[in-house]
Formats: sequence, C-alpha cells, structure tokens
Amino acid sequence: MKYFYFLILLFPFSSMIAQPNCEAYKYYGDTLKYEACKKAMGIKGHYQFSKEYQTVLDESIEIDPTFDYAYWAKSIAYLKSGDFVTWKKLIDKAVEYNPKEHLGYRGWCRFQFFRDYKGAIRDIEKLDSLVDYDIGQSQNGTYHLNIAKGLCYKAIGEKEKAIAILEKQIKLNEQENLFGANDYLHLGVLYLETEKFEKAIELFKKQSENNELAENQYYLALTYKKLDNLNEYKSCLEKAKELYVGGRKMSDPYSNPMDKIYLENIENEINTAYNNGYK
Amino acid sequence: MKKSFLTTILLLSIFWSCQTEKKVNEKEEYLRWVGDIEHNAQIDEIDFKVCNGDDKILQYFNLGEGPVYRGEKSKILNAFKSKYQPISGKNQNGLIRIRFIVNCKGKAGRFRVLQSDFDYQEKEFDKETVSQLLNITKGIENWEVFKRHEVPVDYYIYLIFKITDGQLTEILP
Repeated sequence: MKYFYFLILLFPFSSMIAQPNCEAYKYYGDTLKYEACKKAMGIKGHYQFSKEYQTVLDESIEIDPTFDYAYWAKSIAYLKSGDFVTWKKLIDKAVEYNPKEHLGYRGWCRFQFFRDYKGAIRDIEKLDSLVDYDIGQSQNGTYHLNIAKGLCYKAIGEKEKAIAILEKQIKLNEQENLFGANDYLHLGVLYLETEKFEKAIELFKKQSENNELAENQYYLALTYKKLDNLNEYKSCLEKAKELYVGGRKMSDPYSNPMDKIYLENIENEINTAYNNGYK
Repeated sequence: MKKSFLTTILLLSIFWSCQTEKKVNEKEEYLRWVGDIEHNAQIDEIDFKVCNGDDKILQYFNLGEGPVYRGEKSKILNAFKSKYQPISGKNQNGLIRIRFIVNCKGKAGRFRVLQSDFDYQEKEFDKETVSQLLNITKGIENWEVFKRHEVPVDYYIYLIFKITDGQLTEILP
C-alpha cells in the first residue's frame, strides 16, 4: 500500500511546526524562554488574526525577545493576509533565532505565497546545509521540500536541474512506498516541456494511478498531440474536462499551484482540436 | 526658582505619562483582526457597503474554497494582460499587493495598496504603475459570492502583482 502524504486535505488550517515544549526550557535552565513559552501558550483558543492572539505573543516576546516560536506564530496572519512586509520582518526573526526550525517553512512560504523562487531555493538549500537529517515536507504536507526546490528551479528556467531533483526525490519516496500528491504530474510536465514525450506519458500514467487530476489528463493530451496521436489527444481532453467539472483538479486553500490549469485552457484546446479536424 | 522646578517636574510627568500611554496604545493598535480595513471616507467609494457589519468580514480562505474568482483566474489574468501598460524605468521591480473587501453581492471596495522590493522592503513604485493596477482591479465588476450556512458573506481578498522592469510577470494568489 502506498501512503499519500496529502495532509492538506486533513489539516488545512493547522500548522506543522510543533508547539514548543515549555518544560524543556525549564529543564535546561532557560527560565526566560520558559516564561515566554508559558505566556505564548495563552494563544490557545484565539484565532491567528485576532488582537488577543497577537497581543499574547507580543507579551511573550517582551519576556524573551529571542523566543523564535512567538515571531513565527505572529507571522502567520500577516502571511495569509498577503502583508509580505510585516511577515518577512517577523519570520526573519524566527529564522535568526532558530534557523533549523524555520528555514524550511520560510522557503516554502516564499514559494507558495509569493512565488519568490530564488529566495525559496536559498532557504531550502541553507537548511539542507545545516542539518544531517531529511529536510522534510512543506508546511501543508503536499510536497517534500526538495520537490518544492525543484519546482523553483523550473520556474527560473533551470529545467534539467529541476528534473534531476524531482527524479531523485521521487525515487527516494518510492523506496519508502510514499508518493506526493502532484509529484508525478510535475515531473511529467517537465518531461513534456523538454520534449521527452515517452517519459512524460509514463509519469502521467503513474499520476493517474495514484491521484487522477484534470491537469494530468490535460498535459497528457498535449503530449499525445506532440506525438500526433490525435485520438488519444482528444480523448484525454474530454477526460480532463470531465475531471475538472467534477472538481478533480489541483487546488490549495491559499494559492494556485504550479502547473494548475483552468476550464478555459481545456475548452480552448478542445476548440483547437475540433477546428483542426481532430475528430 | 522653586516654582520653575515644580513646573519642570510637572512637564516631565506629563511627557512621561504621554510616553507610557503611547506604549500601551501601541499594544492596543490591533484592530479586530490583522489586516482589517476600516472605512475611510476620504478615499473609499461612497456607495460601497459591507452587508453584515465590519466585525463579520471573513478572509477568503476561511470558507475552504481557496482563491476563487468569478470566471476563474484566467478572467483576472486576461483583464490585466489586455489593459496593463508597462511603465519602464529604474526601480520598477518588486511586489504590489492590492487588498480589498468583497461584499455579499460580489462588489469590491476599500482598496488598499502595499508595495515592496523583491527583498520585501517597503518602497514606492511609479504612481502610474500603481494607479493602473488599482484601476484595473476596481474595474472588475463582479467577484465570487461566498456563502456560509447559505448566507452570503463579506470577505477580504487580495491580488499580488510581481513586477519586473515594469512588466507584470505574475498575479497571485
């Protein structure tokens, strides 16, 4: 059995960075951080955007201005409201005081919310250089951070490097019997864009087996079009439309994922198919 | 002499109390929620009204549907692609966020602009760049109506524009 680490469906409003263990600070003799931590736990029950939540964390920071968790927790509402200026100031503090805990998160958010590809690559690679363990998943659980890094390389035009990164991470995942929600699709699109059509088809078929999406059939259609297999081209477009209308499409609560398509894209392609006599 | 000493003490006390009050006020600067946009009669449209009161305005993602646009995002992309005229010049690089409220009828208002360079440091773009983006956004007449328990709600949403050398390279989310 394969395990699908598509945690976003289960925890769309949760955060994967663990709540700190305040007692650990006390055990190690850091009483200031212990007090700041105890204060910060007062956020429980308050919405991230609320003044009560923010005020508790301000008080925590007043107790210990190096308490990374409080900066991170404060930053979330600014991130989600698109206030990149305040978010960056806060998350930078969290990274400054605990880089191993927050670099991966900051890198992922740069990518997910602001399409800051180079910044995301810097953060993820920095994290990788600091630790000797697996750098783990994106905050929402959809991607391994290496996959996210690969997608960023693709976005800045380094497609062969992106392919190598995705191939490597997917291989590692498969050894653990894991697969990412969209990994095969993204690698398939990369193969399509670099004209490795047979490999692209292989990947899209794997994606179909694990998590069928309108996007997957759409890009599979484009691949068949390149190979002049017009029956499959049209058939895949019809499947893409059916999936899309049925809600089987890429989605994210906060952003539009890379390689996402819209109904208009499918319908335009179907019109092209008909106008060119592909019946 | 004694009088002037007392006056000085009194002035210092007043000064000190103002400083203290300011500090307390800083803590209380938060509105109900981070990013709440209060009505400003100087800049906001007279005819724009929220339906359920300011204290019930949600965030676009509170309803679990993600960023949804009437006519899908492609309609938004097409609007900017067809109308935005790049302004060349130095320093036209970075991010511009336009945040606003969509009311229960799908109408938008209370637009606010945030600008930064690619290092997330606040800056100001050419006024023409900003006004174009603002006007095109305001020109989108209908936004998606979100409902909670079958009741149409008011919600905050934003568009972020990535600008490189004056060119609009991406629109988020």
